[in-house]
Amino acid sequence: MDMLFTLDTGTGFWNPLLWVLGTAVAGVIAVFLYSLGERGYKKGTAQTEPFISGNPEPEKGLVHVRSGNLYWGFLDAMDGYYRRLVPLHTGDLDDYVLWYMGITALFFIVVVVFR
Amino acid sequence: MKLNALFNRSLWVYHFNSGSCNGCEIEIVATLTPRYDPERFGIKLVGSPRHADVMLVTGPVVHRMKDRLLRVYQQIPDPKLVMCIGACGISGGVFYDSYNLDGPVDEVIPVDVYVPGCPPRPEAIIHGVVKALEKLERLEGVKA
Repeated sequence: MDMLFTLDTGTGFWNPLLWVLGTAVAGVIAVFLYSLGERGYKKGTAQTEPFISGNPEPEKGLVHVRSGNLYWGFLDAMDGYYRRLVPLHTGDLDDYVLWYMGITALFFIVVVVFR
Repeated sequence: MKLNALFNRSLWVYHFNSGSCNGCEIEIVATLTPRYDPERFGIKLVGSPRHADVMLVTGPVVHRMKDRLLRVYQQIPDPKLVMCIGACGISGGVFYDSYNLDGPVDEVIPVDVYVPGCPPRPEAIIHGVVKALEKLERLEGVKA
């Protein structure tokens, strides 16, 4: 029963049984709230389709929000930086090796000249 | 009159404008003001047909709104009632026989209650809601 021990960290404690109990209580509350919902919907009919002000539902692929959209503000704010940096990432290994050799040579020159 | 068992909770209303001049909309909003205060009976406007029990339709159903009216009507869960508010939705009103109408409303979706007027007064709209509930009770009584 080592798995059921209470871990005392000094600032708090952690017990797996309490977590199981908490999850069960949250589940019961969730099921209760779900049971209060509208039961009049008929599955497979327009009643379960999303309401878009009466307009037809677009194809799923057309309204899908890609994960990249989460970073839109970040990319937009740093547009000047990305506009220069992204074209350098060509995906061609030869280019990356060339950059590596070029930067190494530059460092080599700097170290030799300014040592 | 008591509310039917199927409606033994607040009656939520969704409003659909199928091409109205907004005269009926003003009266619907006036109906919801504290002067009449239908919210004390649980009757209130909702923003989605998915939450609605009653659909208020205004306007004569212009060509571009027919599909949308049908879609919204189909999206309301059962049991549902449709109230046609104003002369335009009932007969086309001043737009009768116009080239761009697909209405009146009852030629597109089944209507339970007609509230005439151009626009109808708030008292008439409230009277229409009462008539709609009475009709529902009558229908359920026939089933029982």
